[in-house]
Amino acid sequence: MPTTLRIALLAGLLALLSNLAVVGFIYWRTHDESLSTVRRQVVEQGKVVSDMYRVGGQVALNDAVADAITYGDPQTVAALVDRHGRQLIGNLAVIPVQGGRLQEGYRSSLLRLKNQSTPREAAMVVHRLPNGQWLISGRTVGDGLALRETLESSLLLSLVVAGLLGLVCGVIQAQYVGRRVGGIASVADSISAHDLSRRVSLSGSGDAFDRLGQQINAMLDRISRLMEELRLLTDSLAHDLRTPVSRLRSAAQAAAESSDPKEQEELLAGVIRQSDILIRILSSVLEISRSEALTGRNQFTWFDARELADKLAEMYEPLAEEAGATLRYAKPGDPLPMFGHRQLLAQAVSNLIENAIRYGAAGGEITVGVTRPDAHIRIAVSDRGPGIPTELRNEARRRFGRLDSSRSDEGAGLGLALAEAIAHLHDGKLILEDNGPGLLTAIELPVRHEGTLPSLQ
Amino acid sequence: MGRKILLVEDDRETAAYLAKGLTQEGHSVEQATNGQDGLFRATDGTFDLVILDRMLPVLDGLSVLKALRAARIETPVLILSALASVGDRIEGLEHGSDDYLVKPFSFAELLARVNALLRRRESRVDPADHRLSVGDLEIDPLSRTVKRGGKKLDLKPREYLLLEYFARNEGRVVTRTMLLEQVWDYHFDPGTNVIDVHVSRLRRKLDDGFEKPLLHTVRGAGYMLAA
Repeated sequence: MPTTLRIALLAGLLALLSNLAVVGFIYWRTHDESLSTVRRQVVEQGKVVSDMYRVGGQVALNDAVADAITYGDPQTVAALVDRHGRQLIGNLAVIPVQGGRLQEGYRSSLLRLKNQSTPREAAMVVHRLPNGQWLISGRTVGDGLALRETLESSLLLSLVVAGLLGLVCGVIQAQYVGRRVGGIASVADSISAHDLSRRVSLSGSGDAFDRLGQQINAMLDRISRLMEELRLLTDSLAHDLRTPVSRLRSAAQAAAESSDPKEQEELLAGVIRQSDILIRILSSVLEISRSEALTGRNQFTWFDARELADKLAEMYEPLAEEAGATLRYAKPGDPLPMFGHRQLLAQAVSNLIENAIRYGAAGGEITVGVTRPDAHIRIAVSDRGPGIPTELRNEARRRFGRLDSSRSDEGAGLGLALAEAIAHLHDGKLILEDNGPGLLTAIELPVRHEGTLPSLQ
Repeated sequence: MGRKILLVEDDRETAAYLAKGLTQEGHSVEQATNGQDGLFRATDGTFDLVILDRMLPVLDGLSVLKALRAARIETPVLILSALASVGDRIEGLEHGSDDYLVKPFSFAELLARVNALLRRRESRVDPADHRLSVGDLEIDPLSRTVKRGGKKLDLKPREYLLLEYFARNEGRVVTRTMLLEQVWDYHFDPGTNVIDVHVSRLRRKLDDGFEKPLLHTVRGAGYMLAA
């Protein structure tokens, strides 16, 4: 069943049900009302007539009954019946006996009057008089019933109309919804057909459909961006792998052709070295995509960020010294507990330190510091080297983005990209700042409290 | 001295290469090509070492390892894996493997680790309660003091740890990655020669002024402490 039809039917059904509830209520109230009105009237009338008897005796009663028949409205029922069940005075065509005799009290039943051909519903009171006669007094409720019937039929009609109107509203609604959703669906269709440039058009009303459209557009923007990034990455990966692969190939070929064992050995060592470079590039790329995909959060633990920086500073201090720089670390006095991936964070910070040694050692001084700017932990590495101009800093973060065009040295340009990916894994960020002079790189991570552990995957 | 090694590896070429190398080292190598078969043989428990590929047909390496440890078989296990991320390595170690080596690796690296694991099985004494000595070098793990030729050496804490690790693997090749993992507890690959710098500093303190060097470089593999 098409959705439009389903929505229309649902709307019609809902309209019908709600009207049914209203009509039912009205019916119940009026029915109740009319019956209780008749009853009151009947009881009143019966009392008046029997009072006549008490006051004026048999004669007054006879007169009263005769008067009621003669002068009362056509709905009036009045009769005086003797102890044998014969009507003495009255307008009843048939005596309403039950089980062969009359019963005292109020009841409603079908009655046929003398001037009528069909019985009508009536309410009546039967009194037994002290002289053994029966007094029947009551009213036919025919007119009340007729009114009710009119009411009922109009209610029924309104029910049908409401149902139909509901159905029509449903169709209109369904068409509207269908049109709005259809617009979004056609965009989705063309995207499946590889046209990522289309966007959902918005009505500008800011309603739920607009919000849905905005969400989809934002999603599409992100997908296009990611695809562009992926394309760039694949290009750079292919490009950057060419250099070590071609070096590898030529070293291997030269080794194969060489007849001098010593030279051969050297060339083969070169083959191994180039392979190691390749492997390192591949593992870095892998590590970056793992971190960007947020895997590894199940290996988060608590540790002291001071100790992490301490151990790395100690590890790299000799290397910095060889490169002609001093590496300093001012360890804060208080522990800085944090929740994260100790290994990956160590790798990220080690990349920052290695970068500082590789590009900033000429400045003579490299500083590692851990600070806690409000609700964050910041592990910073700063150098006094040439730094990176502001306009090139985004290039520096990019995978394979290297600032010196000569690709001679072994750094594959993945260090900062990996550090940034690891920062993202911790909901943090990588900061590149001017150190005036030099470069300051830092990883800034939100401090987590035990209550706000990241979702484990 | 030859040992019994179980090699569970489904890649024929790798398996043949490793089996050949280990046999040449004097070990006897038994092979399995899928996880189930590997587990079946390993439960026999007479092996000195199991070399286990992580991605295996029928039953993967980590499941084999888990089953082995659950059956209280404590044979040392070295995991080989093409899964190279830091997280993968940690996962492997957390599952109860004794070492984790990422493919591709050099045979020298594998051999160094195999020897270290076999040796660890050999000497299961409490490491802190007896002195280590290599030639005229004496190490006291309790006081963390080092003497060479009776003269006390002044080592930084990390240099001491480095030397102690070398001494515990006396006469065996220790690779850079092993040092990084065992002495620093880092499971990533630094892009620099940071380990070599530490070793050469230690070497200066250890060997300078002595006629016979103790700390040797093994080309294409790593280092070795030997008298």
